[in-house]
Amino acid sequence: MMPDPTQQGKAETKEWKPDVDMPVVYFQGVSKSYGRIHALSNITLGLSGGVTGILGMNGAGKSTMFKLIMGKLKPSAGEVRLFGTDPWKNPAPYVKVGFVPEHEKMHDWMTALDFVSTFARLHGMTRDHAEKEAIRVLDFVGLSDVVNKQIGQFSKGMRQRTKIAHALVNDPELIILDEPLQGCDPLARTTVMNVIRELGKMGRTVLVSSHILSEIERITEQIIILHQGKLVALGNLHAIRERLDEIPHTIRIVGDDARSLAKDILDHPAVFGLSFPSNTELLIQTYHFGSLHSELPKLIVKNGHRVTLIDNPDDDLESLLGHLTGGGA
Amino acid sequence: MDVAWGSDSGDELELTDSSAQTAKSGEIFEQKYTSWNGTLNPRWMRNWAILRHHLLGIFKKGHRPWSMPTRIFLLIAFIGALSDAAFTLLSGLLGSAEFHALFGVSRDNLYGHILGFFPRNVLFYPLVAALLVGSVISEDRQHGTSALYFSRPVSRFDYIGMKYLSVALIQSLVILFTYMLYFMAEILAFGRGWSWMVDVFPMFLAGFIAGIILIITYTSIGLALSSVSQGKFFPGIGLVAILFGSKTLAAIVKNLFEREILYLLSPYDCVAHVGQAIIGTQQTYDQYPWTYSLVALVAMNAVALYILASRVSSMEVTRE
Amino acid sequence: MSDKPTIWRALDRKAMAVAEFTLRQQRKRLSTWVVMGVGFLAMAVLTMFYIDSMMRDYDAIDNDGDSSDFDMDGYPNGQEVLYGTDILDPDSHPGLLNPSIPPDDPSKWINEDDFDIESLASGSYGYDDDGDCRTEEKTASQQDTNSNNIPCDVRITEPSYYNGFSTAILSDRGVDEDPDDDAYAKESIHRAFVLALGKFGFVFLIGIFVPLFMATGLVRDEMTSGTMHYMLSKPIARSEVFLYRILGFLGLAWPYMTGMVVLAALVTGFFGPSDGFFRFSDLGVWMAVLLASLLAVLVYAMLFCLLGVLWKHGIILALPFAAWELGMILTTLGAPDAAILRFSVIGWAMNIVDAGAALAWTDTSLLIELGLWGGGSNNAEPLTGSLALQIFASDSGLGLTPLVTIVVSICVMLFQAATCWFVGGALFKSKEID
Repeated sequence: MMPDPTQQGKAETKEWKPDVDMPVVYFQGVSKSYGRIHALSNITLGLSGGVTGILGMNGAGKSTMFKLIMGKLKPSAGEVRLFGTDPWKNPAPYVKVGFVPEHEKMHDWMTALDFVSTFARLHGMTRDHAEKEAIRVLDFVGLSDVVNKQIGQFSKGMRQRTKIAHALVNDPELIILDEPLQGCDPLARTTVMNVIRELGKMGRTVLVSSHILSEIERITEQIIILHQGKLVALGNLHAIRERLDEIPHTIRIVGDDARSLAKDILDHPAVFGLSFPSNTELLIQTYHFGSLHSELPKLIVKNGHRVTLIDNPDDDLESLLGHLTGGGA
Repeated sequence: MDVAWGSDSGDELELTDSSAQTAKSGEIFEQKYTSWNGTLNPRWMRNWAILRHHLLGIFKKGHRPWSMPTRIFLLIAFIGALSDAAFTLLSGLLGSAEFHALFGVSRDNLYGHILGFFPRNVLFYPLVAALLVGSVISEDRQHGTSALYFSRPVSRFDYIGMKYLSVALIQSLVILFTYMLYFMAEILAFGRGWSWMVDVFPMFLAGFIAGIILIITYTSIGLALSSVSQGKFFPGIGLVAILFGSKTLAAIVKNLFEREILYLLSPYDCVAHVGQAIIGTQQTYDQYPWTYSLVALVAMNAVALYILASRVSSMEVTRE
Repeated sequence: MSDKPTIWRALDRKAMAVAEFTLRQQRKRLSTWVVMGVGFLAMAVLTMFYIDSMMRDYDAIDNDGDSSDFDMDGYPNGQEVLYGTDILDPDSHPGLLNPSIPPDDPSKWINEDDFDIESLASGSYGYDDDGDCRTEEKTASQQDTNSNNIPCDVRITEPSYYNGFSTAILSDRGVDEDPDDDAYAKESIHRAFVLALGKFGFVFLIGIFVPLFMATGLVRDEMTSGTMHYMLSKPIARSEVFLYRILGFLGLAWPYMTGMVVLAALVTGFFGPSDGFFRFSDLGVWMAVLLASLLAVLVYAMLFCLLGVLWKHGIILALPFAAWELGMILTTLGAPDAAILRFSVIGWAMNIVDAGAALAWTDTSLLIELGLWGGGSNNAEPLTGSLALQIFASDSGLGLTPLVTIVVSICVMLFQAATCWFVGGALFKSKEID
């Protein structure tokens, strides 16, 4: 569905070559403070390829980080590099970037097609070419039947998808989505997630921020966790969890017969406690979350238990952050 | 594994399951309504809270946040409006009669304090009004804070009335309070006795009434503009455009065609004409009687208040 | 798409995209149409007063009083003077002469001796149309009351002013003493109206308030609402965004301004006093008004947009500036060469209008002087319209020839606009956007 990258009609404002040795996004000791409030402090990281989730509570510095990448803010200290170039006061790298801002406000008086194609023309496309591209990306995000409707009449999920379409129209190598799932209903959420996963499969670098862990999990395993402006964790979500093995985890299983399931699970060395809140519910306490989790499905299938739900009550951002920052969940 | 941790969606199961647990089909919740028996504060007390919130915002934090530039400009206008009081005090110190004739309390100077065109009605009073009305309703609509008022036991007309009153009171601080200080300065500097005060008081009162008319007119027009727009800049620019634009047009027509009729469309000139009549200074409009101007003023205020009332009563309480 | 993409073509496409976007955005706003509609209405009201004043007849005033008949013998004084009879003696009138002269209708002695003066340069001018000076009944000294040794002329010396009335025009008694009031009033009110509408209506009121309403928020509104993020995440420099937004605004404001000026030119052309059906001689002034108002809109738009970028409360800077410009336009009327005008926008725009008027109407100052002089009778009031024309007409204050003044003023205003763009772009560039 994505276009041929060698297409015509895309002129760059100046001769600009990305630095191939650098990661797509590179932070070196970056801090950003507003007066006495430190929004980001001393972040160093490099990102290239694949989908990366940026997790953090509200005010953790996710949006600040994106705005630094997009040259909207000037770092108080450190260096920000986008394709090896400093993005502050320099719009050249945006040729290869698509940005979905968190703001809900859009140009409500435009149709989706106008919105996407107008901003596509800022990449130097002709009117016709921009319109063709706009229709293509709107089709990609599943809005092909409403391209001529006004954005003001759109639902929240449609608006989010329009914003994503606007970011994709130049076939970017880096796509930044600030809270793309905020305010979406479950259906829209699934659509948006599919779009993001699709982009990841195409080999783009995608940055997605969210404050809900389960959302990010469904998109990617590679995450960055920010807390109060500090980089708390970076890497594979499972690996991060593995590191936290000593900390007790709880797994909740809902099935027809919790007690017979408990018998089979009791033998597993990682389990140190079981309880039954009700007849159909089983709570498992474990120190070795990862290994139990990988064997649990096998156990269930082997013994023919009927299970309707496997859940991890501790598995929200709050408890994870609690563990990572040393406090109790 | 895939269900719990994979990147495919697995939550649909959970959704169906949990919803099945909580809501059995056909169940109707028992609903009980109890009437509220509490006592509400009297209406004036609630209104006073709104008024106080707006007025105190000029002086300190924690109340309505008038923007800093607005407050700075209020201070500048206040000091500028006090210039004649300062000169009166100075002439009292110097004991110069000529100086006093120029700046001291007299029929013309009392008129001039309220209705003098330059600089008071170019640089001070209209701009103060413009800055005050610029945000007072439109900002509430833009930020959705009007919902905070309307979700409380406050009627829309009380809300708008208090806004009106607070804007008018802040303006009267710049116009009428300085007027009184000017009068005091004369009494202080020259030791005026009762006989002088009784002599001058009708003049003073007439100027005061003219000032009230000026404030009411500026506030009505400004708030009407504020209620029709959401923009931050529109009401202020609109008020200034109406005041200066109508004045300029009328002046062009007067100078070119020797007709003064367009002054009836200019709010400032109507107030000035009425003010000249009730204070008793030299009339500068002589093609029609001052009652015409009074009627025009009443009409302007009526239209503005009608727009304000109809806009506020039909205002949708959403963030726009 | 087949053409090779170049930097210039890309810039051009971006400019078109942003300008078109801005244009459509403004078009969708109700306030745009309200502002433009009110501007149109205001100008229409002014024009209606003008049409009314052009349609009515100004009273023909007998400026020298010679249509009256003091001795009641049926012969107006003027006719009696012409034939040398006694205006105070009912038994002395031209009817007793041989051959007998029939009495004139008194109206023949009103507006009977119009101005015949071509220039304000020192010299001798004038022609005694009605012959009441040239008459042989008068002695040589009676024909030369201004004592310049030329009979029946008007002497003009270097102008000097006293109480606003010119004392430099001195006529021999009975020369050019009873001008055509209606023609004079219409001509001078027409010119005064063209200047007043051009200067105050178009360049000042519309020229300032349309940008004030529409351009102050061009960048600031988008920054506050967060929609600027869409535009700024594209490969386009911020000073370009600034410029192209202004271009979009001009795409609406310039045609509006042009339309209004053309309309005004048509109305005044058809209703103004002229020999043919249309008054072509004003077109030069209207061109100058159009040029000045377009440039003023450009500079004000740049400036107000810059103030909006500079500060969230840019309006607080813009309103006092508008008041300053009001003071400056009033200054141009009285003291067009004041140095303080160099620090305004409107002063330069007024230079263009005044220079254009000087090119199109070379005799405006003569017209004013003659109107103030009014024929030289002892109790002569200034003629109707002369005071109005005196208020609204002024010399361009640079002391250069009109063409050079126009060129210099255009350059200065373009420079002002460029400076505002440069500063605004630089400010916008270094602005952090949340």
